[in-house]
Amino acid sequence: MNAKKQLTEGLITNNPVLVQQIGLCATMAISTTLFNGIGMGLSVLIILTCCNVVVSAIRKIIPGQVRLAIFVVVIAGFVTIVDLLLQAFIPALSSALGVFIPLIVVNCIIIGRAEAFSSKEGVFLSFRDGVFQGLGYTCVLVLMCLVRELLGSGTIGGGILNGATSFFTLDGTGAGIRIIPEGFGAGALVLPFGGFLTLGCLMAVMQYALRKSNEKKARKEKEVKE
Amino acid sequence: MKKALDFVKPALILLLVAAVVALVLGLVDSMTRDRIEAIAEQTKTNAMNAVLEAPSYEQIELGADAPSDIDEAYAAEGGGWVVQVTETGSQGAVTMMVGVNPDLTCSGISVTESSETAGLGAIASQQSAAGDAFRSQFVGQSGTVAVTKDGGTINALTGATITSRAISTGVTAALALCESLG
Repeated sequence: MNAKKQLTEGLITNNPVLVQQIGLCATMAISTTLFNGIGMGLSVLIILTCCNVVVSAIRKIIPGQVRLAIFVVVIAGFVTIVDLLLQAFIPALSSALGVFIPLIVVNCIIIGRAEAFSSKEGVFLSFRDGVFQGLGYTCVLVLMCLVRELLGSGTIGGGILNGATSFFTLDGTGAGIRIIPEGFGAGALVLPFGGFLTLGCLMAVMQYALRKSNEKKARKEKEVKE
Repeated sequence: MKKALDFVKPALILLLVAAVVALVLGLVDSMTRDRIEAIAEQTKTNAMNAVLEAPSYEQIELGADAPSDIDEAYAAEGGGWVVQVTETGSQGAVTMMVGVNPDLTCSGISVTESSETAGLGAIASQQSAAGDAFRSQFVGQSGTVAVTKDGGTINALTGATITSRAISTGVTAALALCESLG
């Protein structure tokens, strides 16, 4: 399995959110500003990569009967570490994401990858899988945040851009760059059901694109055969 | 004998993994604990300064008969009080700091912890023009504070009457407590 194939899988053909459709709860709840999206995406990427590496490293000694319990212990450990580090060093992000950081413990992306991939493959492959699947998750989150924030609140880059003291900020004072005047945004998009709408549209676009590309591939193969 | 081992081995490995994870967590906790506590302290002081500015605050011992929604009360140096109140909002607990002037009027409020709906009730805790406008309504209030729907003078946040009501109740409770304090 080469790196390019793994990257395409993570980002597109086996994207955790848009194709595997896992980890949706947090995706819909926090994708309201760019700050949240990038923060959550990177947190998941780091936790997923660490868990993949550890699970893969100890896969030969994990007894089958208790593997899920061991996965959960490992995941909970890394999640707590990230949670503590965020509280200590980026408190604004920690308070914005609130309960959704501890909830990564039960995020199916991580336990799903542990069960389906890293408990069977080597350490290096699992590391790459963690990074690429994490990137796929982050990309979808960022995309959702951009759509919901722009159409819902009328800004871009809320939380990290246009802060009180500097243009680029991590202290949570960033107001974002206003594109649509205040009060004209479709506020409903910021609510949880706006998340369902946005995610549904993104999935539809993704399925359409995937089907088109598959049809094209099939046609090409047919031509070659003839 | 072999059978017994089959039972014990998974449990031992699980125990081992859990022990290693616990050890690592202990290390990370000891490294970050001081910093997290300092940040929490700082956030609290900032919130207190935002509602009633004073060089220092002294915590007041609340008797057992104090209302259950009052968390903590502080006497500000130079007169006045800051009271931390927790009320039930629409999505869960809403914790706020209420500043009270010596003449028993509200000097300002700040919502420190809440999980209200983003875009509606969450405006009450946001640093935005709408949030400031909502919170500034409480400045100068005294006695019983209520939203216009309940016959008071506070304009509730659009679509967030329950949140607004919770905050009004909290301010009323804080004012009442300070009246009893003197």
